[in-house]
Amino acid sequence: MVPTKGQRRRQRERLWTGVAFALPAIVGLLWFTAYPVLASLYYSFCNYRVLTPPRWVGMANYRHLFEDPLFYTSLWNTVYYAAFAVPLGIVLALGLALLLNTGVKGLAVYRTCFYVPSVVPIVAGAVLWIWLFRPQEGAINDMLRLFGVREGPGWLQSPEWSKPAIIMWSLWNVGGSMLVFLAGLQDVPKELHEAAGLDGAKRWDSFRHVTLPFISPQILFVLIMGLIGAFQFFTPAYVMTNGTGGPVDSTTFYSLYLFNVAFSDFKMGYACAMAWVLLLMVLAATLVVLKSSARHVYYAGGEQG
Amino acid sequence: MASEKTKTLNRRQLVAGAAATAGSAVLSGCATALGRSPGRTREGEITVWHNWSGVTGPRFVKVAAAYEKAHPGRRLRLVFTQNDLSTNQKFFTSVAAGTPPDVTFVDGPQVASWAEWGSLEPLTERIRSAGIRAEEYFPPTWRQCEYRDQVWALTCSADPNFGFAWNREAFRRSGLDPDRPPTTIDELTEVGDRLTRVEQGVLRQIGIIPWAQYGPANSIFTWGWAFGGEFYDPETRRITADHPRVVKALEWMIQFAKKHDPARVESMRQGFGTAEQNPFYSGKLCMQCLHIGGIGDIERYAPDLDYGLGYIPAPPDGEARSSWVGGWCMSIPRGAAKPDEAWEFIRWLCHSEEGTALFGRTMSVYPGMRHSPYFAESRSRRYYGDYVRILEDSRHQRPVMPVQAFYMRELQRAVEAAVYGRMTPAEALERARKNTQAELDLALAGA
Repeated sequence: MVPTKGQRRRQRERLWTGVAFALPAIVGLLWFTAYPVLASLYYSFCNYRVLTPPRWVGMANYRHLFEDPLFYTSLWNTVYYAAFAVPLGIVLALGLALLLNTGVKGLAVYRTCFYVPSVVPIVAGAVLWIWLFRPQEGAINDMLRLFGVREGPGWLQSPEWSKPAIIMWSLWNVGGSMLVFLAGLQDVPKELHEAAGLDGAKRWDSFRHVTLPFISPQILFVLIMGLIGAFQFFTPAYVMTNGTGGPVDSTTFYSLYLFNVAFSDFKMGYACAMAWVLLLMVLAATLVVLKSSARHVYYAGGEQG
Repeated sequence: MASEKTKTLNRRQLVAGAAATAGSAVLSGCATALGRSPGRTREGEITVWHNWSGVTGPRFVKVAAAYEKAHPGRRLRLVFTQNDLSTNQKFFTSVAAGTPPDVTFVDGPQVASWAEWGSLEPLTERIRSAGIRAEEYFPPTWRQCEYRDQVWALTCSADPNFGFAWNREAFRRSGLDPDRPPTTIDELTEVGDRLTRVEQGVLRQIGIIPWAQYGPANSIFTWGWAFGGEFYDPETRRITADHPRVVKALEWMIQFAKKHDPARVESMRQGFGTAEQNPFYSGKLCMQCLHIGGIGDIERYAPDLDYGLGYIPAPPDGEARSSWVGGWCMSIPRGAAKPDEAWEFIRWLCHSEEGTALFGRTMSVYPGMRHSPYFAESRSRRYYGDYVRILEDSRHQRPVMPVQAFYMRELQRAVEAAVYGRMTPAEALERARKNTQAELDLALAGA
């Protein structure tokens, strides 16, 4: 049926009404997101000191990047962090969620306790942990002393222990993932556990073959968000080392190096190139995870992963 | 039908209303930007971005009030702006956006960078017509403001870096003569060893931590010059971080790290706070290079501390009475709205007898201008007098070139790499030289 003239007019009016309502969001998106993103792509091919106009240099920034030893150091530090912090975070968050899901008394209290660190501002938390990590009078080494370790690690003062220290800090913040898992666990059908129990499944089998498949989408979600977060890891490293990335570059994470290049040296072109390389790496890592996980993730509703 | 029509009209009205609201918001935004923006000042008022916080914040307000009183019709709008060698985003953004303050404080070693990137107005003409001459300033304080044949700033506060301080009580406890501080590096090493105490594998007291004199980079500057080294050749624009004398200095600095695990030393140092928990006050750390601000801190937090102050020890073939100058300068940013009024204030604070004397007295810092009456007042005061002499003997300032922040970071990396035994001092400093030279060449090529 061909719409009448009047219908068409009304449709057009409705369209413009919709556009008008969406306009603030569209303008905001174009101006505050699309423009900076595209501009940073352009600047990544330029020498750009912010105060002087950008000058086109082609691939020079990218070539320089792959010859920069500190780029590789920072990449290594970041991958190291991601390789430990993300899986450990998942295991810890899942473990806490499982414990909280056993129907213990005072569940709300425990849930709040474990979630509170995620509410503490990152900078405040990082400053607090500087104190905990203090080798001579910090609480962590004090505790180690109770177990007979007379001289605990130097933590943030030691090139070997600085990254493990920061990974420990990251585990303090698993509250968010824990809640995601807890929600997932509460969706696992009780009948399946009962059925498995009747068939003689032990607790572990029941977890492995019933619980785990049901919460695999949550695990995938936490994994991907964790990976992206790990690649962008910045604030605690900046706070705990005063932005130096020391000792001996051991906490120069990718984003920290990028920040120094951008805002200390004002090499905005080089920093933009670094940011785009970071984006490609995060994209690649996410795609690998998504593709390789497709077979392992079970969506109860039957959608394809 | 009628209701349908009303509906349409209503909707149209709504859209028009929304558009009008959005439009007026945009227009009022423009009006704000063009008319009474937050950065816009009243007649005779200038905006000053300064870096004085903590106890010095209220003192600076007093100085500013005195200026306003002495200059009817002038008003200063003071804005505290975090500003150190690595964080100047706020200032740069304001210049790039065309809304800079009228006056900004700038760290001495930053002047060249800020001038190179075009964020400052040259002061050369104003200085010439005011009859201000280079000889009226301590040479390093003038040199740090001069770049590419222009003067970009005037030194407002000159920090004599550093005095060498020793805890006399700790000397006595260890059977050392508190009136005979070490004057050579060999003596310093020996006294340092005698003052260092390890109990059950834990460091309890340290003589001196050579690489911890206000950060690794400032440490290598301090000892490097004392050893007779040099960091930069302005004639050829070559970085000389691997100068043989600087290498020697770093070799000496890490001797202590070889005797005591650096992570352990740093562990002990971590327990040190700044201000009231300073280990120098408690005698846990017996000797250190002391910034002039340290006198005030000691008066405030450890008034009973018995300490001595003198020149930094140096090897016999190094530089006796070695020191260098840091401190704050004042500049007019590019695009400042009221440069004339800005210059009037800068000139008063940096180059007038009443301004420099008041600033010195109120803030406990030394002016860059040599004939400030404040020096005569300070010369006879205990400790402050020592710093007057150190300032007068001062020969160095950090390299005047545009990649200062990068150089500082490279020097810090070099010192850390050597302290933690990852590289030899020569290798570490060679890396710093190579990286910084490449960065400098890039910057000088206009990149």
